[in-house]
Amino acid sequence: MPAGIESILTTTKPLLTGTTTTLELFALVIVISIPLGLGVTFLASGRNKVLRGIILVYVWIMRGTPLMLQLFFFCFGLPFLPVIGKYLVMDRFTAALLAFVFNYAAYFSEIFRGGLLSIDRGQYEAAQVLGFSKWQRTYHIILPQMFKVVLPSVANETITLVKDTALVTAIGVVELLHYAKTTVSRTADISSFIYAALIYLAITTVLTLVFKKLEKKYSF
Amino acid sequence: MLNAIGLEKSFGTQNVLNGVSLSVNEGDVTAIIGPSGSGKSTLLRCLIYLEKIDQGSIIIDERDLVKDGIYAPEREIPLICAKMGMVFQHFNLFPHMNVMDNMITAPMLVKKRSQASCKEQAMQLLNKVGLQDKTEAMPLLLSGGEKQRLAIARALMMEPAILLFDEPTSALDPELTGEVLDTIKSLAAEHMTMLVVTHEMSFAREVAGHIVFMADGEIVEQGPPQTIFTSPTQERTRTFLEKIL
Repeated sequence: MPAGIESILTTTKPLLTGTTTTLELFALVIVISIPLGLGVTFLASGRNKVLRGIILVYVWIMRGTPLMLQLFFFCFGLPFLPVIGKYLVMDRFTAALLAFVFNYAAYFSEIFRGGLLSIDRGQYEAAQVLGFSKWQRTYHIILPQMFKVVLPSVANETITLVKDTALVTAIGVVELLHYAKTTVSRTADISSFIYAALIYLAITTVLTLVFKKLEKKYSF
Repeated sequence: MLNAIGLEKSFGTQNVLNGVSLSVNEGDVTAIIGPSGSGKSTLLRCLIYLEKIDQGSIIIDERDLVKDGIYAPEREIPLICAKMGMVFQHFNLFPHMNVMDNMITAPMLVKKRSQASCKEQAMQLLNKVGLQDKTEAMPLLLSGGEKQRLAIARALMMEPAILLFDEPTSALDPELTGEVLDTIKSLAAEHMTMLVVTHEMSFAREVAGHIVFMADGEIVEQGPPQTIFTSPTQERTRTFLEKIL
């Protein structure tokens, strides 16, 4: 095997391992935080004032403080809580996952709230006079129209998440950026940074294309 | 068919309905006319439970939707209201569904009917309103008149005993009102029971068997069109008609 190709393989192999972790984190956060965000939106539009208050504070904190601080808090802060702290020692990946889910669910809930507000009252009224139950109305009339409205913002947020996953390198989760950084410092060769950048670009490009397709599908 | 007795409704400190009583018999076409802000639309919306009244009774097909200000249990209300259909000023079609899906979604979900029987009924109704060639079209691509004819057909899919119209032509370009009014006329010819809030005086005169004139949240005068349009007894009716005719 020519030396050049061999060196590329030895540097990219750990990068690919890191990519798996990055993708795993990304996928789990998306799959959990989008439904959770939707749930938060519907709870926040409900009648329970206490619940609405709690959600308001939750979103306020998640949007108003650095994501990095939240990561540190979940990873290093929780175990120091009095009484319950000793039950909150998690491996770093889980801690990172939780922090991201809490943070992104808050952002997604705000996006969905905007989408919900954009739907004309006449849609609710038409569904009601046709006899739809609340659940049928939400599922068949409101949600499909809401998805169309929020799709561009959700796409934006999703692509931001891909890049935000790199933050977990700061709490020692070994993912793509972590491997790139250690390879560069070990070999004194910056090509790993370029490879990592290309991998991030590939992921975000695929996502952009997927969302373009979805937007087309929901253009009524 | 429909009885409303002593309806009272206020938004904040403003009284929109001041003791309105109204009765619609089977096969009647009743037109509600009157100046803007007289409470016509609110009356219609209260009858079909889009607004709640503060006081009074509404009886639909011998069942109490509300009696002396006290509403029927929540789970019974949809059953009582299922006797009524409604056509809105702004159509309120479902923009994410094509014409056929706008027609069949409600009967399939609400009445648990089969898709085949819903589609068959939908084709008959679309034929009737002249939209048989548009089954795949999205609402956005329909003209205003087509939208409202579709909305009427969609309401008929649920086979209501009485159809309420809330200014069905007010959002249309003048040249498109005719086709919608013709659709309503053809329903009148089939003795469909209808309650129509409208600003189209010639239509009211021609199609309705009963005219209700409302002003300031009250029914000022009601009767057959000949009486209301040619010899109204109330000063307010006269003033209104002079302005509008």
